[in-house]
Amino acid sequence: MTDTLKSICEQCIHLNNPQLDFIPIERGRHREIILRDLQELVSAASAEMQKTVIILAGCILESALYTFLQSQEAFIAVRRGGFQFDPTTGLADYINIFNRWFRDRLPGVELREAHVTYRHLVHFNRELDSPQDICARAAPEMLRVLDRLLGELSQFAGPA
Amino acid sequence: MAHLAELDLTTKGGEAKLRALLEDLVEAYKGPNPAYRLALAVWFGKRSGQEEQNLLLLYAGPPMEMFESSERQPLFWKAGSQGPPFARVHAASLDYFLKRLLLESPDLQPYFENFEVLFFEKDLLDEQILQRFNVIAEPSGLTKGWYIDAVDYAKYTTIRGLLGRYANSQPELGLVKTEESPDFEHCRGVLHVEIGNETGKWWLPQSPDALSATAPYSDHLSGRPGYFLFQGGALYRILRFEVKTAPEYAAKVLQKRRDDRYTEVYLRAVHPSEQPAA
Repeated sequence: MTDTLKSICEQCIHLNNPQLDFIPIERGRHREIILRDLQELVSAASAEMQKTVIILAGCILESALYTFLQSQEAFIAVRRGGFQFDPTTGLADYINIFNRWFRDRLPGVELREAHVTYRHLVHFNRELDSPQDICARAAPEMLRVLDRLLGELSQFAGPA
Repeated sequence: MAHLAELDLTTKGGEAKLRALLEDLVEAYKGPNPAYRLALAVWFGKRSGQEEQNLLLLYAGPPMEMFESSERQPLFWKAGSQGPPFARVHAASLDYFLKRLLLESPDLQPYFENFEVLFFEKDLLDEQILQRFNVIAEPSGLTKGWYIDAVDYAKYTTIRGLLGRYANSQPELGLVKTEESPDFEHCRGVLHVEIGNETGKWWLPQSPDALSATAPYSDHLSGRPGYFLFQGGALYRILRFEVKTAPEYAAKVLQKRRDDRYTEVYLRAVHPSEQPAA
């Protein structure tokens, strides 16, 4: 017997009660979109909708990283020696940037190559090329890592 | 984008800025031609205070039977500046470079002088090239594999069956053994995961703080048995996890953890005959 998506989701406090303190106050639209998607994600998890959970969780991972990295442009620039956030790239690039500049500061979340692979299941050919039970495997992992990311980002950027 | 006046090429900070500018340029060279995939970017002949820097770019794709050198390009191109610092780009195909490397061609020598790898795509690169540029993406002794939960374990009755199920997918975890019993029945080791950053993909020790968000640990806490299947077919049952401070493990991993804390897992070998029939 494995955990259901519903039971995993119920344990994810940052999915159910998102604080999103890392989103700058002036980015109201970012917050709206992420909150809406989180609500849909929780509903999908409660209904055990694996594929929907993977796609939506990947989408929120990207949105959260986009917003966070954009707001941390100056921080990265100081450490890197110059940095301009590129809003036209995607999840893989955002994860790479996050891992390079924040992995040591936010050790509670580990964004792996596998998470990009799971997100790519949005493409039909990628799922065809994956093991048959890939969705059952990926969905719980995506819920857990997203929950962890939201918690870590809020802790990093939130009020002291 | 940093202003030119802020760029002091002789200081360490200046080098970081120069590196950032070169990385931006490398980014721009990643995607212009879909037939060629950038596999390696090397900053070579590094000298502080130098107005012109050199980049070697190697591409996977149709062979290019020579090195193509660009005109020098201003590194503040994004800001529209035509002034210094500049970069000269030397591009070749991987095949061509490898051919020259195997011939020990002296014309490659400049690329190995005072170099720094800015980007690599390990899966595209030949072992000789990785070694020549000291690209070490995984620690010595790393075994890679997959987590098998109790449900999957029960589905397959043989190692062949499990390998057939997993071998075509990317390994999702790694282990560097720290101890093994003389009869090879028990072992323990530092858990690893593959992490990508802007320069490439690396196998690094699993962060203990992130452990609780993983399926193996979650199943373990719930009292469900879990297994690791490694490439080649070694199958182990997870006995326990331990997070320990172990400065001595720094020599076993690619990147030492700042707090010297590592996730260690204790395993027992599982033999096919122990598996229940499906």
